[in-house]
Amino acid sequence: MKILAIVLAVVLFVLGLLYGLGIVNVLTSAGHGHHIKHLILLWVLAVLALIWARFQSAPSH
Amino acid sequence: MTFTQALILALLQGVSELFPVSSLGHTILVPALLHWQNVKRDNGTFLPFVVALHCGTALALAIFYWRDWVRIAKAVVGGIVRGRLGDGRDERTGWLLVVATIPVGLLGLALQKPVQRLFGAVEPAAAFLMINGLVMFLGEYLRRRQHEDRGKSYKPLEKLTWFQSVGVGVGEAFALLPGISRSGASMVAGLLFDLDHEDAARYSFMLATPVILAAALLKIPDLFVPGAHVALGEAVAGGVVAGAAAYASVAFLTRYFKSNDLRPFGWYCLLFGALCFTLARMGVIH
Repeated sequence: MKILAIVLAVVLFVLGLLYGLGIVNVLTSAGHGHHIKHLILLWVLAVLALIWARFQSAPSH
Repeated sequence: MTFTQALILALLQGVSELFPVSSLGHTILVPALLHWQNVKRDNGTFLPFVVALHCGTALALAIFYWRDWVRIAKAVVGGIVRGRLGDGRDERTGWLLVVATIPVGLLGLALQKPVQRLFGAVEPAAAFLMINGLVMFLGEYLRRRQHEDRGKSYKPLEKLTWFQSVGVGVGEAFALLPGISRSGASMVAGLLFDLDHEDAARYSFMLATPVILAAALLKIPDLFVPGAHVALGEAVAGGVVAGAAAYASVAFLTRYFKSNDLRPFGWYCLLFGALCFTLARMGVIH
């Protein structure tokens, strides 16, 4: 699960970057351009995925 | 938009954002009822004004619940540092809020503009306001059936499951439709997941804080597009009035929901929605 969480975080980070650079325009109302809102949201989700990975790495009680 | 109109809209936003009566619906219906033809939501000056109103409302909510937020933030950060999810009340509540915010953010980003383009007129807003009223009656009916007729007990907020928390977030996302209330939808979802009115309202208001703040902050890049300009006086005064109204509203509602339910707001939405819908069909307002 830890690996999955880290992979998810990397995917979300890269996807956010692609939205920010305007390379990906899927599910955007403005069409082509820099999608800063999508970038922020995807990076927030990437951070949450990293936190999930952190929880997976603790010893179980 | 005149200064007086700005203050009235700010007061309306501050109150209707937290009362389960749809702020978005009211900011469409009330200017139409008052024949404020000069108030245009797509005007370049309206966006900074909306950002200021949302910031004022979110700040008021953050101040009202600041002790809870400090406890929750400490517990959540403590959990991350430990690397283990604790079972404390505050930590659990914090993560439930995070989990519920995700669907609101995703659905909001994907659907907000198309939904408001399709339904941002008087008639759909009035129709959805009536539906909002019916949803509150339905929520109260199902709650009474579960808890009063069948004797099922309520559960505290931190006992919500992750899945139920996502459900509350999805419920809140219905408020993208003008006329559907953010707090009403999330409260009804909370009631259906066995929260009592007090906890459902608290969870709804706490969930609204990051959502409203994020909605405001995410609009800031739009302020720098060509054609947008800030009417500073109106924006600042509006933010202060909306914040004061939101604080008074949350103070009132947290007391109100200790011993009352959603039905009076349901009646209000049905009647006001029906009035606006009828006037719109007759061509009196548009």
